[in-house]
Amino acid sequence: MTISGPSNTDAVTRRDVLKTGGAALAAAAAGPQWALAQGAPKRGGTLRVSNGGDPPDFDVHQSATYLTQFVTAPCYSTLLRADPNDYDKLIPDLAEKTDVSADGKTVTFHLRNGVNFHNGTPLTADDVIYSLERIRKPPRGIVSPRKGLLGNVDSMEARGSHTVVVHLTQPQPDFLFMVSNAFNAIMSKKVAEPLDAQGQGMKRQIVGTGPFRLTQSIDGQIYELSRFDGYFGQPAYLDKIQFFPIRGEIERGAALQGKRIDAGFFFPNEGVLQTLRRVSGMTELRRPTPTFINLIPNIQRKPFDDIRVREALSLAMDRESFIKTVGPLAGAFFHSHGLMPPGSPYSLSEAEIKQFSGYDTLPGLGGNIAANRQKAMALLEQAGVPKGFKVVILTRGDLPAFRDSAINLSAQFKNIGLDVTVDVRDTGTFYTMETTGNFQLVAHSVGMGGAVPDQILGEGYTSYGGRNYGNWKDDSLDNLFREQSRELDPKKRAALIKQFQLAFLKTYYQINLAWVGYGAAHWNTVKGWKALPDIYANMQMDKVWIDA
Amino acid sequence: MFSFIVQRLMVGIVTLFGVAVMVFLIMRVIPGDAAVMLSGAGAGAVSEEELAQVRTQMGLDRPLVVQFVDWAGHVARLDLGTSLRTGNPVFDDITRRFPYTLQIVVMATLIAVFLGIPAGVLSARYAGTWIDQLLQALSIGGLAAPSFWVGLILILGLVSLFQWSAPLLWEPFWVSPVKSFTQLIWPALAVGLRQLALIARMTRSIMLEVLGEDYIRTARAKGLSEWHVVIRHGLSNGLLPVVTLIGFEFSALFGGLIITEAVFSVPGLGQYVVASILNRDYPAAQGIVLVLAGIVVLGNLTVDLIYGWLDPRTRLRGAET
Repeated sequence: MTISGPSNTDAVTRRDVLKTGGAALAAAAAGPQWALAQGAPKRGGTLRVSNGGDPPDFDVHQSATYLTQFVTAPCYSTLLRADPNDYDKLIPDLAEKTDVSADGKTVTFHLRNGVNFHNGTPLTADDVIYSLERIRKPPRGIVSPRKGLLGNVDSMEARGSHTVVVHLTQPQPDFLFMVSNAFNAIMSKKVAEPLDAQGQGMKRQIVGTGPFRLTQSIDGQIYELSRFDGYFGQPAYLDKIQFFPIRGEIERGAALQGKRIDAGFFFPNEGVLQTLRRVSGMTELRRPTPTFINLIPNIQRKPFDDIRVREALSLAMDRESFIKTVGPLAGAFFHSHGLMPPGSPYSLSEAEIKQFSGYDTLPGLGGNIAANRQKAMALLEQAGVPKGFKVVILTRGDLPAFRDSAINLSAQFKNIGLDVTVDVRDTGTFYTMETTGNFQLVAHSVGMGGAVPDQILGEGYTSYGGRNYGNWKDDSLDNLFREQSRELDPKKRAALIKQFQLAFLKTYYQINLAWVGYGAAHWNTVKGWKALPDIYANMQMDKVWIDA
Repeated sequence: MFSFIVQRLMVGIVTLFGVAVMVFLIMRVIPGDAAVMLSGAGAGAVSEEELAQVRTQMGLDRPLVVQFVDWAGHVARLDLGTSLRTGNPVFDDITRRFPYTLQIVVMATLIAVFLGIPAGVLSARYAGTWIDQLLQALSIGGLAAPSFWVGLILILGLVSLFQWSAPLLWEPFWVSPVKSFTQLIWPALAVGLRQLALIARMTRSIMLEVLGEDYIRTARAKGLSEWHVVIRHGLSNGLLPVVTLIGFEFSALFGGLIITEAVFSVPGLGQYVVASILNRDYPAAQGIVLVLAGIVVLGNLTVDLIYGWLDPRTRLRGAET
C-alpha cells in the first residue's frame, strides 16, 4: 500500500496501517498542511513559553525529558509527524512518500528534495540513516533510551541521495508510528558524527531542518528560537519563540497570569489550572496523555517475589479513591480498563478487567474495597507476611505524580496491616536506586511519547522493556508481545493485544493505578496550537501565531 | 592591622581547603550517579556498558584521590572546571549569574538597614507604647513569614492588583538599571523582610540597653535634644552588634537565596546550586559551594575589619593575640 497525497486526507491512520502490511504516504511539495479554524494567521511576533526548567542538554536522541523535547521540537523534523487535527494519523514531514512492502518487512522513505539544515547543508539519505542508527545502535559514549523503538530494524540502506530503505526483521504495523516518535529527530550527519566521535554528541547545539533555529541559549534564563527562513515547508508565522525555565508550577501560573509568558504547557496541579480557568481571556485544557502511574514491586526482593503478596497489594488499593485524591494534585484523573491508555480501541471490557484482584475499584465498577482488603490480609497471611511488616515505597520528591501517589499508597497499605513508609529522594538518587533495583516498591509515573501498542506494551510491560524496574523475566509474555507486534491482520492483532494484557495483569508484575492528564493554558492571543493526547506531539509550533 | 588581616586570610584559606574536601566527598558519598543523570537513564533502557562509557568520559572511573587532586590543582589555578550540564566553564556560569544574586543581596540589605535600624530605634525610644507594640508585631511577622511565601504573595499581589509582573528576560544593572531594579526589587523585598525584622529587633534590644546607660543620662542632663542623644550618643555606641549581624546576614544571603530565586525565576547563584546538585554536576556543585564559602569567609573578614575600625579595643586584642 502507498500512503500519499497533498494533504492530511491522505495521511496514514492507525487503522490503515493495521489493515495491511503495505502502505504508503506522500505529501505535496509545500510541506505539511492543515487548517485550524481560528481565523487568518498573522505573521510576526514572539511567543513566550514557560518550560519546567533548563533542558539538561539539547541532544534529543539522548534525552528522556520534555524539558529538552519542548525546546528542540521546533528545530527538528521527523520522517513523519502526528497530524494536529487527528492524533491517530501520520502526515509527511521529511519523507514526502512512504512505501511499505506487501510483506510488511520493507519500508521505503522517499525524502523531499531541497531540504536544508540550519547550517545550509542539504538533507540526504545519509543523514536519515545516521540519525536512525544513532538511536538504534548509538556510537560509543552516546546513550539512547529509546533504542527499543527501532529494535525491529534489521538494516538500512540508502538508494540514491533521497531514498532510505529500512528492512525489518519481522512485519511491524506500528513501525511508522515508532519511527515518527517526536524524539526521533533527523540530525545532520556532518555535524553529529564528529561530535559523537568525541563523545560530546549534540548536547550543546541544535542543527535540524525544523521551522525554527536556536539563536540564544542562556542557562537559567532563556532559550530563544528564531524562524528559519530556509524551512522546507510553509515558513512559521512567529518570528521567535522564547522558552523561560520556571521550575515551580505556581510560579508558572503566576507568570502566565502576569503576562510574563503567553503559554504554559505543563500544569499537573488542578488548583493552579482552576485559578487560570477563572482568568478572563485565558484558554486552559487538560488532556489524558500516555502517562501511567503504576506500582512496581521489586520481584527480586522477598516477599514481592510471591504473587500472593503482589495480588494483596493490588487488592488493598481503592483506585477510585486514588484517582479522586491524587488526581487534583498530580493530574492523575484518568483510568482505563487494561494497560492501554484511556480511549484505546484495545481496552478490555468491564468483565475482563474486573477478574483481576483490586481492579473492580476502578470508577464505576462497583468494587467493595472493605472485602478486597479482607482478602488482601488473608493472602498476606498465606504468604507468611506478618502484621506490621515494614515496607518502604521509594519515590522522588520533585514531581507530584510520583510523590503524592506514594503517599496515598502508603496510607492505603496501612489498611491491610503493613507498616509503610515513603522514602522521598531527589531525582538523582531516585533514578540510581530505581535502575539498580535498590527498592521494595516504587510508585512510578511513566510518560510515553506515543500511544501505539508496541510502544506502551513494549517499553512498559516486556522483560526487556526500558520500564522493567521490577526486574521480572517472563518469556511467554515477551513472545506474546512479539506475536502481536508482527501480526498484520487487525482483528487477530487486537485479539493478541487483549491476550497480552490479560496475561500480564494476572502476574501483578506491575499494578496499574491511573493515567495522568497534562494541563496547559495560554492567553487567547495564542492561536493555531492544538493539544494532542501526547505531551510531546505537535510542539513544532510552525502553525502557531499571535493575534495581538 | 596588617598582621591581623594576614592571620585572618590564612585562617580563611584553611577553611576553604576544608570546604573543598568536604564538598568533594559529600558529592561522591550522597546516593545518585552523575552518569545516570546525564544519560537520561531514568527513562529506561540504558545499559550498564553505556553508563560505564559515560563515567569514563567524565573521568569518574578514576580513584577518588586522583579526581580530588586533579580538581584541587585546577582550582588552585582559578579553574573551577567545566559544568557537566551546561558545558560551560563553571567560572563563566558563576560570573554570569553572580550580578543578579549580588544585586538582590545588596538591595535586600539596604532595605533591611535603612528600614530596620530606624524601626528598632523608634521601638526602643517609645518602648511600651503603641508604636513599639506595632513595630514589634510587624517584626515578629517578618521573622515568621517564609521568604518564598512572601515572594508568592508579592507576585500574585502585583498580578491581581496591577495586572503586572516583572519581565522574565533578566538584565544586569549596568545594562538596564531601571529594568533591573524593577525586576529585582521584589525578590529583594521578599528576603529583605526577614533581615529587616531581625535588624529591627536587634537594634531595639541594644538601644534599650544603651539608653539606660549613665552617659545617656549625662547627655540629657546637658540639655541636648532628645534625638541628638538617641542617635549621636545612643545609636553610634549600640551599632556594633548590629553591624556584625548585618555582615553575617549579608554573606549568608548569597547561599540563602535558593528558594527566593526559584520563586521569582531569577537566574542567580541559588538556582545554579540547586540545578548542579540535582543533576549531580560535580564540577559545578563543587565550584559554586567553594565560591559561596569564599564569600562567607570574605564577609566575616570584612565584619572583623569594620568591627576593629568601630571599636579599636578589638583591633588591639587581635594584634595582641
